[in-house]
Amino acid sequence: MKNKPLTATTFFNKVTSHHKIILTLSIVIMIAVSLFIPKMTKDTSYDAFLPKDDPILAFRNQTKETFGLKDPMVIAIVNEQGIFNKKTLQLVYELSERLKTISGIDPDQITSLSTENNIVGTDAGLEVDPFFEIEELTDKKALEVKAAIDNFELYEGSLVSNDHTTTLIVAEMLDSYDKKQHEVYKSLMKLLDEYKSHNEQFYLAGEGAVSGYLIRYIDEDAMKTNPFAAIVISIILIFAYRRLRGVVLPNIMVLASVGVALGAMAAFGVDFFVITNGLPVVLIAIAVADGIHILGEYYETAAKHPEFTQKELVVVTMTHMWRPITITSVTTVAGFLAIAASSYMPPMTYFGLFGALGVFAALVYAVFMIPSAMMFLKPQLSKAYKSDQKIDYFGKAMAFIGKVVIKYPKAIIAIAIIIIAFGIHGASKLEINEDRIKNFQADEPIVKADALINKKTDGTSYLDILVETPEVEDIFEPENLHKIEALQTYVETLPHVKGSISIVDFLKKMNQSLNENNTAYYRIPDDRELIAQYFLLYSASGDPTDFDNYVDYDYRLANIRLRMDTSEYNFEKPVVDAVNTYLSQNFNSSTIKATSSGKVTVDAHWINRLGFNHFVGAGLALLVVLLFAALSFKSIWAGILTIIPVSISVLFIYTVMGVLNIWLAVGTSMFAAIAIGVGVDFAVHTVDRLKFLLSEKGLPIKEGYHEFYKSAGRALLFNFLALALGFSVLMTSSVPPLSQFGFLVAVAVTVSFIGSLTLLPAIIYLVKPKFFSTSK
Amino acid sequence: MKTRFLIGFIAIGLVFPLHSISQTLPSGQSIANKTHTRDEGVSLSRKLTMELKDKRGKIRIRETTSFRKYFGEEKRLVIFYLTPKSVMGTAFLTYDYPDASLDDDQWLYMPALRKTRRISAANRGDYFLGTDLTYEDIKLETRINRDDYTYKTIGKEQVDGHECFVIEGLPKSKEIAKELGYSKTKLWVDATLWMLRKADNWDVAGNYLKTIEIKDIKKIQGIWTYHKIYVKNHKTNHETIFRIDEVDYQTEINDDAFTKEALVNGL
Repeated sequence: MKNKPLTATTFFNKVTSHHKIILTLSIVIMIAVSLFIPKMTKDTSYDAFLPKDDPILAFRNQTKETFGLKDPMVIAIVNEQGIFNKKTLQLVYELSERLKTISGIDPDQITSLSTENNIVGTDAGLEVDPFFEIEELTDKKALEVKAAIDNFELYEGSLVSNDHTTTLIVAEMLDSYDKKQHEVYKSLMKLLDEYKSHNEQFYLAGEGAVSGYLIRYIDEDAMKTNPFAAIVISIILIFAYRRLRGVVLPNIMVLASVGVALGAMAAFGVDFFVITNGLPVVLIAIAVADGIHILGEYYETAAKHPEFTQKELVVVTMTHMWRPITITSVTTVAGFLAIAASSYMPPMTYFGLFGALGVFAALVYAVFMIPSAMMFLKPQLSKAYKSDQKIDYFGKAMAFIGKVVIKYPKAIIAIAIIIIAFGIHGASKLEINEDRIKNFQADEPIVKADALINKKTDGTSYLDILVETPEVEDIFEPENLHKIEALQTYVETLPHVKGSISIVDFLKKMNQSLNENNTAYYRIPDDRELIAQYFLLYSASGDPTDFDNYVDYDYRLANIRLRMDTSEYNFEKPVVDAVNTYLSQNFNSSTIKATSSGKVTVDAHWINRLGFNHFVGAGLALLVVLLFAALSFKSIWAGILTIIPVSISVLFIYTVMGVLNIWLAVGTSMFAAIAIGVGVDFAVHTVDRLKFLLSEKGLPIKEGYHEFYKSAGRALLFNFLALALGFSVLMTSSVPPLSQFGFLVAVAVTVSFIGSLTLLPAIIYLVKPKFFSTSK
Repeated sequence: MKTRFLIGFIAIGLVFPLHSISQTLPSGQSIANKTHTRDEGVSLSRKLTMELKDKRGKIRIRETTSFRKYFGEEKRLVIFYLTPKSVMGTAFLTYDYPDASLDDDQWLYMPALRKTRRISAANRGDYFLGTDLTYEDIKLETRINRDDYTYKTIGKEQVDGHECFVIEGLPKSKEIAKELGYSKTKLWVDATLWMLRKADNWDVAGNYLKTIEIKDIKKIQGIWTYHKIYVKNHKTNHETIFRIDEVDYQTEINDDAFTKEALVNGL
C-alpha cells in the first residue's frame, strides 16, 4: 500500500481542484436524503422483533385473525372502598360508552362490567342479560352485580379484582391504528383526566398502551439525547483544536452520517424501532472521529510547514490520513454488519445495516467533503499545535503513560490476564432476559399502571393456546372439552399464570344456569348434542358474537387464553416450555391438536435467540476485524495483536454486567459487536504508528515510544474522548436499555483505549515481534 | 294562446317542483299501513334454510321446516331443526302478540335434555337465533312497523327492476330506538305489491349497521311470496341468507301444531 501515495496525491489534487462542485453535491445529497426523514413511521410493538414471515409470528397473527384478538388498552378503575357502588359502576358505564366514540378504538370490542352479559338460569330457561342497565342502577343493584360476579368464576380476576377494589375496561384497537397507538393513548389519557375529580383512581396499561407510550417516550428521549451528544462532541472539538472550522467541519460530517442513515431508512420504508433511537447518538460519536484525525494532521502539518498553500496543506493531510481513516471506518462498518448478519430480529438487523451505511457515509464525506470545504478557507494554525517541538498538557499526559508502560510491562500484562479470567467467568454467567416494561424508568405512569394491574388482576400478558380438531363441531365432543379443562387446570398451577378462559368456562356456566344454578352442575355436560343445543339456546337470547374470542364459527377451533402477571422473559419462558411439553403429550393425536401462541409465546421465541445472536455477532465482528487487520498489515501476528484490546474490553464488560446485574437484552446484546468495531481503531492506529516509527523510521524503542505517545497518542486521546463521551450521552437516555447500551460501549471503548495504549506497547516491548523490528 | 298557457304551466312546475312531487307520493305512514293489508294467507308451511356466514367466510347451514299461522292479529311461528345433526329435533316456538306492550312468548325444545325451555322475553332488537335479523324483523317479515317510527317519503327508486317508494323512518323516542336497536331506517317498499324489498338500518350510535334485501318474490297459490332474504351486517361483516322452498298456503295446519307439546312430538 505504501507504494501508492503518488496515486493518492493525484486523487486529492483532483478532489481539491473540483472542490466547488463536490461541496455543492455533498450538501445537496445530504439535504435530499434527509428530506425523507419526516416520512419515517415508528413501530414500537414487540412483534416488530420478528420478521413478518417467521412461522411463530405468522401463526400468532393467524390466531389473532381467527379469534379477533387485538392488542388491548386496559383501563383499571380503582376504588379502595370497593367498586360495587352506584357511582363507580356509573363511571364504568360512562367510560365504556365514551370509549366507543374515541377514534382508533373498536366500538364493538370493549369489555367491561357494563358491556358483558351475565348468564342466569331461570325456573324455565336461560337468561343472558347485561350485569346492569344504567337506568336501573342503584347502590342496591350494584350489590346484585357483586353477587353475580361472585357467581361467575370467569370474571373474577379477569374483570374484577378478587378484593373488589379494581375493575377493568379492556378496549381493543382497530388494526388501522397500528403504529398510531400513541394517538389513541393520548385520547384515552385525556378522557380519563375529565373524570379525575371522582374518588376513583385510573390506570392505563396493556399491550396497546405500552406501544403508544413508547412511541412518545422515545420521541422525547431523542429530542434530549441527540442535541446533547452534538454539544458534547463540539466541546471536545473546541478543546482539541480551539478553532471554528475544527468544530464546524466534523459536525457537518456528523449531520451527513446521521442524515444518510435515517434518510435511507425512511426512503426504504424501514420503521423506526425503539433501539433505532440509539443510532443517531452512536453515529455522532463515531463519525466525528475521522474529522478529529484529519484536522489533527492538518494542524500538525500547518505548524511544521508554515510555507504551504492551503491546497498543499489539504492534499498532504489527506494523503497521509486516507488510509488510517479508511481502515478504522471499515472495521466499524464490519462491527455493524456483524450485528446485521447475526441477528434474526429486524430492528437489530436494520440497526446494523443503516449504522454501517452511516459510518460509510461519514468516510465518503471525510474523503470528499472535508478537503473540498477546506479549500474555501485560508491556511490556519491551531493554538494546540504551536510549533513542532512544543507539546501541550494532553500530549504530556500521553507521553507520561508511555514511560509507565516501559517501566512496568509485566505488571500490565498480569492485570490483563486477571481481567480475562474474570471475563470468561462473567460470560458463562450472563443472564439473558428482557422485559418490555423495563423500557421505561420505574417512576413512569405506565410502569405503575402495569404493576398495579398485574398485582390486582390476572395480569396483562397473554398466552393463547389454539386447539384444533378435524371436523366441524368436534369441539363439542365432551372428551375434547375435558382435555381443554384439564389443560386449564394444569396451566393455572404454573407460576405467574393467574387465570385462563376458554369456551369450557362459558359452557359450565350455562350448564349450571340451566340446572337451577346448582353448583354441582358447574361441569361439562356428557352429551355432544346437548352441548350443541346449549349454544343454540344461547343464541336465542345472547349476542351471536359473544364467544368469538374463544371458538371459531364452525366449532372446529378453540382458543384458551392464559393471563400472566409478568412480561419478564425469565418467567415467561418456563411457562411456554411447560405448556409445550404438556401439549405434545396430551394434544398430539389425530382427534385433537394444540399449539401455543400469543404474546408470551412469541416473546419467549425471539428473546431466546438473543444470546446466540450476541455471541455469533461478537465472534463475527472479531473475525472480520482480525482478517482485515492481518491483511492490511500483511501479518497474522499483527492482526492478532490488534484484536487483543477489544477482546479484553468485551470480557471486561461481561464482568461488569455480572457485578451490576445487567441483563443481556435487546439493547445490551448489541454492545459487543459495536465495541469491537469501534474500539479496534485504537489498536489499529497503535500498531500502524509503532510499525512506522520502529520498523520504517528505525527509531530506538524508547524514542519511538515517546514519539508515538506525544502525537498519535494525543490524537487517539481525543478520538477516545469523543467516543466515550458520545456513548456516555446515551447514558442520559430515559430508555434504560439504551442507557445501558451506551454505558457498556463507553466502558468497553475505555478499556480498548487503555489496552491499546498500555497492553499492546507492553507486549511489543517485551516480545519484540519481528513485525516491528528494523527492516533497514 | 294555447302555447302560452302551456309555457306558463311548465314554469309553475319548475318553480314549485317539490310541491308537485309531495302531492303525488303517498305519506310514509300510509305506506306502512298499507303493508299490513296485504294478503299473507292464514297458515303457511315452508322449508327454511338458514345460511350464516362470518367475516372469515365460514358458513353454518341450518335446515328447518317451519309453520306459521295467524290467530286473528296474533302470529304464531314454529321452527323444527333438521340439520345439523347435533341440533336435529330442536324446535322453536314463538307467539307474537299484536299488542306491543305485551312481551312475546318463546320456547325452545332441546331433545338432548328432553325439556322445553322458555326463553326470556327478548328485546325486539335482539338477534334471532344467531342470525342478523332481529326478533322484530322476523315478526314483520315484509311488513313495516306502523307504530314506532315517524316516516318521511323521500322518492321513488327501482329495486331489482321494481318500482319502490323510498321512505325514511326515525324512532319516535330514544327508548324505542334502544329497544329496536335502530336509530334510523330507510325502506324500499314495492309500489304495487306493498311489500318491503330492501331496508337499510343504522345502529343506536348512528353507524351504518345492516342491509336487508328481500328477493325472489313470486306468486304462490295466489299469494305474493318471497323466497330469499339476504342480510349483510356492515359492522361485523356477518351475513345471513334465508332460502325458502316448498311454500304451501293451502294445507291447513292444526292449531295444536303451535303448542309446547307439539315441539316435543316433533314433525
